[in-house]
Amino acid sequence: MNKNSNMSIFLKGLLLENPVFVLILGTCPTLATTKTVIGAIGMGVAATAVLICSNIVISLLRKLIPDSVRIPCYIVVIASFVTIVEMIIHAFVPTIYELLGVYLPLITVNCIILGRAEMFANKNNVAKSALDGLGMGLGFSIALVAMATLREILGAASFAGISIPFLENYKIKFFVEAPGGFLVYGILIAVVYKLTHGKAPYKKEFSCATCPSAAYCNRGNCQPKEEI
Amino acid sequence: MDAFKSLVIILLSSVFVDNYVLTRFLGICPFLGVSKKLDSAVGMGVAVTFVMVVATAVTWPIQHYILNSMNLGYMQTIVFILVIAALVQFIEMALKKFIPSLHKALGVYLPLITTNCAVLGVAINNINEHQYNFIQSIINSLGVGLGFMLAMVLFSGMRQKIQESEIPESFKGLPATLIAASFISLAFFGFGGIIENLFK
Amino acid sequence: MIKNLKSVISLTVICAVISVLLALTNDLTAPIIKEQETAAVNEALSVVLPGGADFSPIEIDEYELPETITEIYSEKNGGYVFKMQTSGYAANFVLLCGIDKDGVVKGATCISSGETLGVEKDYGDTLKEKTNETIDDVATVSGATKTTAAYKNAVKDALNSFIILNGGSVDLRDEAQILNDNLSAALPEAEGKFSPVFITEDIGDINSVYASDNNTGFVFVIGEQFVATDKDGKVKTETDLKTTVEAAAKAIINSHLNEIDITKYSDMPTQVAKAYKTDSGNYVFELKAAGFGINGDKYYNPSGEYIDIKVSATKDGKIISCLTTAQKETDGIGSACADEKFYSQFGGKTEADYSEIDAISGATITTNGYKTAVSKVFTAIKILEGVS
Repeated sequence: MNKNSNMSIFLKGLLLENPVFVLILGTCPTLATTKTVIGAIGMGVAATAVLICSNIVISLLRKLIPDSVRIPCYIVVIASFVTIVEMIIHAFVPTIYELLGVYLPLITVNCIILGRAEMFANKNNVAKSALDGLGMGLGFSIALVAMATLREILGAASFAGISIPFLENYKIKFFVEAPGGFLVYGILIAVVYKLTHGKAPYKKEFSCATCPSAAYCNRGNCQPKEEI
Repeated sequence: MDAFKSLVIILLSSVFVDNYVLTRFLGICPFLGVSKKLDSAVGMGVAVTFVMVVATAVTWPIQHYILNSMNLGYMQTIVFILVIAALVQFIEMALKKFIPSLHKALGVYLPLITTNCAVLGVAINNINEHQYNFIQSIINSLGVGLGFMLAMVLFSGMRQKIQESEIPESFKGLPATLIAASFISLAFFGFGGIIENLFK
Repeated sequence: MIKNLKSVISLTVICAVISVLLALTNDLTAPIIKEQETAAVNEALSVVLPGGADFSPIEIDEYELPETITEIYSEKNGGYVFKMQTSGYAANFVLLCGIDKDGVVKGATCISSGETLGVEKDYGDTLKEKTNETIDDVATVSGATKTTAAYKNAVKDALNSFIILNGGSVDLRDEAQILNDNLSAALPEAEGKFSPVFITEDIGDINSVYASDNNTGFVFVIGEQFVATDKDGKVKTETDLKTTVEAAAKAIINSHLNEIDITKYSDMPTQVAKAYKTDSGNYVFELKAAGFGINGDKYYNPSGEYIDIKVSATKDGKIISCLTTAQKETDGIGSACADEKFYSQFGGKTEADYSEIDAISGATITTNGYKTAVSKVFTAIKILEGVS
């Protein structure tokens, strides 16, 4: 498959470069909003919308924005799309707004979005950037929903708020609480590693290559050199 | 006296019960990324605590005296993130010029903090969720920062142990780290409800 | 320089464009959000006040209301919805309570709590249709006493606030505070710190006696009256109760306890831990009663869960007063044996009318252990007096 074909740009976000399970980006919303499937879908859709819009705008402006202030510009663009999405969700789906709470404005600092702006949108044309945003957004959403499905079924014996009768007496509340989030996430990363072994650009630690902060930091200090 | 008591409760609950990393999942990236060694965990913790307190001291008046009075509440996110980013840059420059020794110790962590969701999160939560007054907000930010540091320090100790253990191939690295984080989060879970009852 | 200028300009332009965009979106969505919020508030409020309409928040700082009240909404028919925050078993127990224009509770519900929701989820329903006069008839739920008591007290606060909002006045002090205020009024020198005096002498109509912690005097409670004396027992202000009070004060001040060696009496009941005789010939006993978790009549258990009781009685077998000094019974159930309401029943009882004591509801074992222990006082007096 041609590495730069539109199809592969779209598909890589789904599994091989899945932002959640392979690139390990956006860990905070991944853990926080996967208590319920509804919350995961809400977060996925909101982040995807922001990602596509910001990718398009940043790609459009990539020749106009001076290099020295590009990060502040990206942040402003992203934050404004987040605010717009937040207002729309607040107006039309208030239940999701309540459910996501502070995690909605915090999409601004979701590393996936700044990361894709820095790594992809400022180097590629509008169509490709939009496609990349869609792929990454979908990959993020799918990962969230997968994790939320596991957690909600095990922890609350329901799926998307609809209770599953025969599991009613076997709820393991642990899974919808904070510790369960860490556990399920860890296990899912291991499973994806097993499934894609040898193919994915597997990243088991945070490294400067994919860190959006690398742009300011640029010193390589955040990443201890040795491998585990 | 009651005011003092409520401040102590805010401080203790933000450190233990409502620990941002372990119960709210804010600031996970540095928690997992910089907790490998004890000294870097402490450095990051101090830097985050410092930035949180300063950021709250700046964003709280901005929200209450500028945004609210001009009916611009919806600009909160964009203004806060810019203010925090500028603040971090400014702190870094100031430290470099005036206290080089401190800059040497904390400087490397400062740029990472701009996109730390715990900093923006605590600034927003102080205003939207808790609706604290200025002093309470500062205390809460201090507590959240200390809680972050506590979690980092405890976790760095735990990671040293993990490095010495035999782990199945698929679980090596991040999965094992996350599962360890689950255990430490479970431990903090036990603090629930304890603070209010301490002062009954 | 030019490069810097370009940076500044482009950042400014982006910010400006974006601000316009945001303002436009805000103009579009703000009215919808507002509408939605009002609808949501109305819906939540009409759950506790069915039929209510046009809810609007009122400024609560203008009134002196109980601390638990955090928000009040008025309604067009004259009813109110109160939002209360209290602490039950855990803190942050948030309740809503609707009261109609006649002061009747129309609904109460818990909207958030740090507790495991059990009975309290439906407890609000039992408070429905209650008024300020009838709310005390509702019992707390055993097994969730703390939470349901907090629930009930919060609703009581709402009822009191309703009276205040309608221009009435309510005594917001609780019983302990009222007592302390009355004592302080009688004896200001005590600076508000009093301890009850354990009465060992028969002092007639006097209900109870309090000594000031800083040793400045005593306060005698007779019916509704509070009479203060100085530390030597002289009445401070003239009253027709002067003779009664001064006699009682003299008896109390001059009373000395002389310990009796109970090991000399082989048939002394096991519940009696210590016995004393006063100069006037009365007896004081320290008792250990079998609490909950102790088998049958045996008063002692290695785990040590007994109740400490102090009883004084005349030599002809009439109890003067009774006090629970220590107990480790189940909180909210057996712990009622430390309530004055319970132990003060024993005062004035003799062996003949002893069976009239009321039990603690839901705590049969504690009550039995307690009653058995106190009844041994009569046996002990007979032994000490040498009556066979």
